[in-house]
Amino acid sequence: MTADPLLVRFWGTRGVVPVASTAREVRAKIANALVVARGASIASFEDAARFIDEELDFAATATYGGATSCVEIESGDDAFFVCDMGSGLQQFGREAMGLCRRGRPAKFNVFLSHMHWDHIMGFPSFLPAQDDASTIIIHSCHPDAEDALRRQQDEIFSAVPFEAMAATISFVAVRPGEEIEVDGLRVTAMQQDHPHGSFGYRFGDAAGRSVVYSTDSEHRIDDMAREDAFTAFFREADLVICDTMYSLAASNMAKEDRGHSSNLVAIDLCREAGARRLALFHHDPFHDDEAIQRMHEDSIRYEKLTRGGFPLDVLCAYDGLEILL
Amino acid sequence: MEVTYGLSPEAVIVAPVGRVDEATWEKFGAHLSRGVEEAASQSRPTMIIDLSGIEYMSSRGLRALTVAKQEGVGAGVSVRLAAPNDIMREILAISRYDRLFAVDETVPFAEGGGA
Ligand SMILES: [Zn+2]
Ligand SMILES: [Zn+2]
Repeated sequence: MTADPLLVRFWGTRGVVPVASTAREVRAKIANALVVARGASIASFEDAARFIDEELDFAATATYGGATSCVEIESGDDAFFVCDMGSGLQQFGREAMGLCRRGRPAKFNVFLSHMHWDHIMGFPSFLPAQDDASTIIIHSCHPDAEDALRRQQDEIFSAVPFEAMAATISFVAVRPGEEIEVDGLRVTAMQQDHPHGSFGYRFGDAAGRSVVYSTDSEHRIDDMAREDAFTAFFREADLVICDTMYSLAASNMAKEDRGHSSNLVAIDLCREAGARRLALFHHDPFHDDEAIQRMHEDSIRYEKLTRGGFPLDVLCAYDGLEILL
Repeated sequence: MEVTYGLSPEAVIVAPVGRVDEATWEKFGAHLSRGVEEAASQSRPTMIIDLSGIEYMSSRGLRALTVAKQEGVGAGVSVRLAAPNDIMREILAISRYDRLFAVDETVPFAEGGGA
């Protein structure tokens, strides 16, 4: 018997606030690509696609995207699993509605890391929430999660009140450290250091594969015991999605207490945990594609320079990335 | 982790040897704390961390540098780095620690060693 696939799909990978490429940035990418391509024989779309893959790097032809935190996990079950409801939720909702029209059950298991705006702002425009055929179950470790979502749709902020959402919406309180089973996945939460608190989630499937979603999580310079707890939480995960918004220097000096972490700490934690892959996540909204790509290249280099045992695969999440585990 | 302490007219020079990682960062941090205390008690305004014997350093070691810098602020001792190898130079750039610390090419001559 072959196991069901376990697939992670990123709908929003930005932190703090959604951003979008400007006309000037897109134009610069096209102009640069045309210059690089001068003299090449490109007669079809396929030729062009091959040229892009072989000759140009990611930031030159694509974008990491600018939607905020939203990550889907697809397991063998029909129910949808989604971590956080940032602005990436809107596009996810549109695609999900299409699948539901073709027969997939409209059941959505949401796992909320916390209720900062960049992690919930997609909910008011989440199409399945406006459909009375949908069931949405919001799992959270925060007792005030429902209150936060209702307040987000107060008349002063939103034209559509929470009460007007047609879907059947319920809230499930999750206790950190206590494993629960949700539609075929085993889920455990862990408290993280972040203003008003945030929670990471570890998902495990029947085939023994696991994904950790750990965003908005600060790792302080003087709390190494806590770091051992994260190593245990990440232990031998197939994929760990980590908040890597700042450089190490920024995270422990200028940006201390902001509740975020760095690429270097994420790499060290994953390595100590024996995790297989790390996805850099919650990108700084002030960083353009080149800056994010540089951070990714730096991360790969650091992993190589400090590698003791087997390699850790360091990926950089972008809106639209799919990782099959 | 091996370490030697030296004194120049201006600075206490701490020279640890080896790699700083999960297994050694605590000792490394303790050596740096002692270096800051020595500098304060010997009336030296600076502690120089001689990195020439350091193979590489993970984030735990880098964060120990930050702790030492903060302890230095409390004790009136400024902390500088010196003589990183090529790998350490790259790690300081990747972590942006080269913006946090002054990094000297060479270590000043130490007059006499402590233990
Ligand atoms: Zn966030
Ligand atoms: Zn947050």
